[in-house]
Amino acid sequence: MGEYGQVPDPQPAVSPAAPSIGERPKLYRSSTDRWIAGVCGGIAEHLGISSGLVRLLMVLAVLAGPGVFVYGFFWVMTRPDTAAADGVPVARARKSLTKNQVLLVIGAAVLIIGLGWGGPAGQIGRHLGFLLPVVAVAVGAFLAWSQLDANERSRWAGRSKRGRVLAVARPVVGVVLATVGVVALATQGQGFDVVLTSALAAVAVLVGATVIALPWVVRMWQGLQAEQTERIRATERADIAAHLHDSVLQTLALVQRRADDPATVIRLARSQERELREWLYADQNRSSDSLASAVTTATHDVEDEHGIPIELVVTGDRPMDDGGQAMVKATREALLNAVRHGSPPVSVYVEVGPTGVEAFVRDHGPGFEMSDIGDDRLGVRESILGRMRRHGGAAKIRRLESGTEIELTLPPLEKGSEAASPSGSASASGSASGSAPGSASGSVSGDAAGAEKSAEAQPTGGRPA
Amino acid sequence: MTSPTPTAPTKQTSPIRLVLVDDHRMFRSGVKAELDPAVTEVVGEAPDVDTAVTVIKETRPDVVLLDVHLPGGNGNGGVDVLSATRGATTESGQPVRFLALSVSDAAEDVIAVIRAGARGYVTKTISGTDLMTAVRRVADGDAVFSPRLAGFVLDAFGAAAGEIAEVDEELDRLSAREREVMRLIARGYQYKEVAKELFISVKTVETHVSSVLRKLQLSSRHELTAWAMGRRLL
Repeated sequence: MGEYGQVPDPQPAVSPAAPSIGERPKLYRSSTDRWIAGVCGGIAEHLGISSGLVRLLMVLAVLAGPGVFVYGFFWVMTRPDTAAADGVPVARARKSLTKNQVLLVIGAAVLIIGLGWGGPAGQIGRHLGFLLPVVAVAVGAFLAWSQLDANERSRWAGRSKRGRVLAVARPVVGVVLATVGVVALATQGQGFDVVLTSALAAVAVLVGATVIALPWVVRMWQGLQAEQTERIRATERADIAAHLHDSVLQTLALVQRRADDPATVIRLARSQERELREWLYADQNRSSDSLASAVTTATHDVEDEHGIPIELVVTGDRPMDDGGQAMVKATREALLNAVRHGSPPVSVYVEVGPTGVEAFVRDHGPGFEMSDIGDDRLGVRESILGRMRRHGGAAKIRRLESGTEIELTLPPLEKGSEAASPSGSASASGSASGSAPGSASGSVSGDAAGAEKSAEAQPTGGRPA
Repeated sequence: MTSPTPTAPTKQTSPIRLVLVDDHRMFRSGVKAELDPAVTEVVGEAPDVDTAVTVIKETRPDVVLLDVHLPGGNGNGGVDVLSATRGATTESGQPVRFLALSVSDAAEDVIAVIRAGARGYVTKTISGTDLMTAVRRVADGDAVFSPRLAGFVLDAFGAAAGEIAEVDEELDRLSAREREVMRLIARGYQYKEVAKELFISVKTVETHVSSVLRKLQLSSRHELTAWAMGRRLL
């Protein structure tokens, strides 16, 4: 049962399976320890005693009579636990009746009936004509009603063709059994003719009742479905309204109040747009600690801070590691550089592939007029170039015709430790890009070896004042 | 497409005839205000699928700026307009070209209009000059890829993962050159910057992009959209 996790346990390491004193698991039907519906297993777990003992008592109680009702009561009144829904498939987790157990039960029944025949329960034998139909009705009802149990239903319906056939067969057999039982009860000690007539009459009544009730039941069912859909829709609408109120309406109000400050308005609109987008096109598969999401977050942070839109494209993804962390920080630094000293549009492209990670941060700044930098020199040299090199990657800065592009590379994940040599990653990036970017535009460039030099020769990146 | 220096208008004897299809009137008037009437002439507007089909068939424009999300039709927005006007031609007998315009980043929306026949996709935040460049490019029969669309293509075709077509004609993978072009576009490069970077002409870049567009429209690899989305893109 999934309840153990919530139990406040002063000594957690001792035995996670044993509930601490005072707190016991709620009474659910067990999905893991079950023969029929998990009632006994649930009770045993709730009381913290052996399920075998509970079962023995239950069997005795059933044989005595009232146990049937007790079992039925618990079945109806308790909910199944959710442990199985989360992880272990129900069908497999269920402790199914083995052949031996079935034999055991049958044997016990034969024994009891055999003993009772001549002995104390001899009177039951005389009333067998009464008892058998009652048992038939009970079993029939059990078969038919068990279909209402969602857990059971999924177990039967989930399994291939045979399961689906069984799912239909169970209620049918149940109804037939119950009908036979009722007819047998009503025709105690009558002749075969009477029984037949009664059976026919019963069937006729059943068919008639079905014909009359069916449209009504169907309509009621449809109404119920419609109402349910409507309720779901209403809840969804309420959710959407609440979200829009908390986000969009608030932002719109803010925008109106700050109408005289275009920079703030743009920033508000941009962050609101992003937030709404994330909400609308939320990607469930996105893990929160992957490289792609970290880069996205960093980019959005810079965007929010400086109010300059950044076009971000990421392809591929990989889990976060030290190198990834360094790359995210270096990307962030490069972006800050771009929004401070370059001019928009600023774009980031991150490609995570088998040959490693490549990130390109590009702005359209003039490149030369940046004489007011000063401290940033350390920023570029240490935060970008040094950081990437320390993690086996490389960084290079190129001046394009319009703007600057900072390229960061990182070796593939598996060989992260041994392929830490900068030349390895640089050659990977070279073969991946298929062009020689350095010579292509005549910019100062180089992989890790020449990175530092290029930084110094790079006017936009880090010219000291 | 992002460019601080818009391409100089090519010698155009007559302005490009344009139809705006968007359900937001404010957006339509905004676009109209931004476009240079000497280069592009707005000959029609439509707020929904059915009006759009009628207007396009009547005015026979060179380019349709098509919103991805539109009311009416079969509920598929821009895709419905594209399928209803398939085969429509301009007055000079050229096919009517479509440039998809959307606020949506959802891959399935973008890919759906591209596969339905749009020649390109740009976001609504595009600047006026960039939009004009894009319109002219589409009018010339070329394709317009935003960085985001390029990134998506790289992912969907497995190019980012290193899959490269051996033969150019292969539909399910990009050739090495196409991959390069897509990568540079994803990095925010203009076509002419791409050309310079790869020592090829702008016309060649346009050819590569058009061939990628064709692959995107014809390849069955589009089913891999789901895969690419699972890997979290767009």
